[in-house]
Amino acid sequence: MNQILVRHKWEPYLWLLPSVLLMGVFVVYPVCIVFKLSFSEISRSGVVGSLNGLDNYITAVTAPEFGSVMLNTLIWVVSVVGISTLLGFVAALLLNAEFFGRKVARSIMVFPWAATLVVQASVWKYIINYEYGALNNTLLNLGVISQSVNWRATYVIDFIWECGIGIFVTIPFVTFCVLAGLQSIDVSYYEAATVDGADFWKKLKHLTLPLVRPSLTVSTVLNIIYVFNSFPIIYTITRGAPAHKTDTLVTYLYMLAFSEQRKGPATALSVVGFLILCVCAGIYMMVTMRKEGEEA
Amino acid sequence: MKKLLALLMALCLCLSCMAFAAAEDGVTLDVIICEYGNNTRNWFLGTGMNGSNFVDLFQAANPDIKLNLEVVSWSDVHKEVSTRISNGNAPDILNIDTFSEFVADNLLLPVKDYCPDDLFEDFFPAFIQESIIDGTVWAVPDLASARALYYNKAIFDEVGIEVPATWGELKDACQAIKDFYAGDVYGIGLDLTEDEGQATFAYFAWGNNGGFTDENGAWALNSDKNVEAMEFVMDLINSGYANPSPSTQTRYELQDLFGAGKLAMVIAPNQLPQYLAEKGFTVDFVTADIPHNEGATGSSVGVMDRVMAFKDDAAPDQAARNDAIGRFLKFFYDPQNYVGWVSMETFLPAVNSAVGALVESDPSFQAWLNVLANCRFYPAANAQWADVRNGVVVDVEQRALTGEEVRPLLDTLQTKITGK
Repeated sequence: MNQILVRHKWEPYLWLLPSVLLMGVFVVYPVCIVFKLSFSEISRSGVVGSLNGLDNYITAVTAPEFGSVMLNTLIWVVSVVGISTLLGFVAALLLNAEFFGRKVARSIMVFPWAATLVVQASVWKYIINYEYGALNNTLLNLGVISQSVNWRATYVIDFIWECGIGIFVTIPFVTFCVLAGLQSIDVSYYEAATVDGADFWKKLKHLTLPLVRPSLTVSTVLNIIYVFNSFPIIYTITRGAPAHKTDTLVTYLYMLAFSEQRKGPATALSVVGFLILCVCAGIYMMVTMRKEGEEA
Repeated sequence: MKKLLALLMALCLCLSCMAFAAAEDGVTLDVIICEYGNNTRNWFLGTGMNGSNFVDLFQAANPDIKLNLEVVSWSDVHKEVSTRISNGNAPDILNIDTFSEFVADNLLLPVKDYCPDDLFEDFFPAFIQESIIDGTVWAVPDLASARALYYNKAIFDEVGIEVPATWGELKDACQAIKDFYAGDVYGIGLDLTEDEGQATFAYFAWGNNGGFTDENGAWALNSDKNVEAMEFVMDLINSGYANPSPSTQTRYELQDLFGAGKLAMVIAPNQLPQYLAEKGFTVDFVTADIPHNEGATGSSVGVMDRVMAFKDDAAPDQAARNDAIGRFLKFFYDPQNYVGWVSMETFLPAVNSAVGALVESDPSFQAWLNVLANCRFYPAANAQWADVRNGVVVDVEQRALTGEEVRPLLDTLQTKITGK
């Protein structure tokens, strides 16, 4: 079969060439440049000077706010990916059930994912605004509260809001990944389980979960990468203020590079972020390849 | 299909050669201008100059100079310029606020190399002083603005209070406003964001005879006067006299709150009336001096932007390039053009020749020019200014907001900047 389709050995490589070239120019080359820059002295005005070893890394890692920024990044990724995966899974189960208006419900579910993150973050910023926000106005009009509540009283609350918005916009992606997995499960499995007397929880544990695990793995790994790199929500709502207390690694390095004009340490941090994600991607590849090996 | 592609590529090649040939004829200047407001782009590139624009009029008057003029928003301009410098593609002429970092990297041309003498004499000497490093003038001012206290007259009348001149009176006024409106109206707006936290520091440090530097120009960030000033700012916030989220509410948000009658006082530049009118606010306001501490002298805060020229060692004819830059400046500061530019966004002028025409067109300019005469400016000529600016906002003001003590924060910043 293969011999019929592929006339020459080099033909697959030829067809791959455009993507390899694009990847090389737009991914590999910039990554190499960033690696080189991270070991170079960069002046405030942007002049790239001589190599300075690990100076940029040491400056970045010894900054007093570095610890809290990394902790925030961890909380941000774990809470947004964890909670959105849980809620997205539940939403997928609901949307997989037969009910009137299912198509409409599925379309509504896509909205938070389809809208631009900056727009969504701006809308949320308006909703929770103390002085003229929609949330306060609605609650005041309904008589639930008698005077406006400051929904953003401290930076901890601000960060919780940011995580909450992150979860809200991430749920649809998980839902649709899981939904796709659910729809590929043969109904006869469930019929057989019902005949054997399995209840809802047993079917969930022994049928649904193992069968949607590939979809869940894909959505979780992709989400870790997306959420780790996510910039617009935090930048729009707090810009990391006060004193980087609500920054994650990505917003922090942006502020460092473009607000404080300290590009050396910022480049070093972007390399650190890149390596962290490489580790995540590596674990994912190991897991999937091992599974493929087991299946084979 | 292949033939068509080949034809297209050949055409593109020819066109690019033609573009190259055109650029070779005369001098081409890459200019970056900051977007000051809604009218900037239209004035430089659209139809804002009586149906024409700056670039077309300049090129009609100087056919041997080609202008590649780009209007860039303030939020992007530092990013764009540093990226261009990193790529070895610095602009020829740049309009921006800071300049010391470019001098530190030996990127700028001294002003005397390109600025005609008669134009140089026309700049306010006090402004030129702010752009000198090691005895050399590296940039010229393009415009300035001055800050003052704006207060909502209706609120003050309703509460029955007078305009505060001192910090004590400011606290009393804020307390009275807080009592009267039960927290629905804030007393004073404070911006401690990375946008303008340094301005808030200047308002209060200078209003307590403190400041960024001592009388010899050395950094004096942790002076007792500055500690007292910052403690006063934190006291205003912790007492509920100010807007509740100063680390995320920029001056523009405060101006909106002021326009909506939610804020009784705001310290803002002289463009505030135009800003409020464009946004449709009809608040009844009056201006006053920024309050100062008892026993200290008040001083207004001036903000100045600059125009500077970059070196280009690859330019074939340096003299022709310098001459072209000089002609650009002459054309920009020609009262026929400059008066329209400054008054369009209600800025204050940087050259004497524009004053007469501006005061004639709007007598309120005179009062602001008097304020400007007594203004103090940020120490932007010091190469460490950018670090001080970030440090004051992020490491002092915003950390103090999270509950840390002011004095150790200022001590740490002083040590970080001066190394002792």
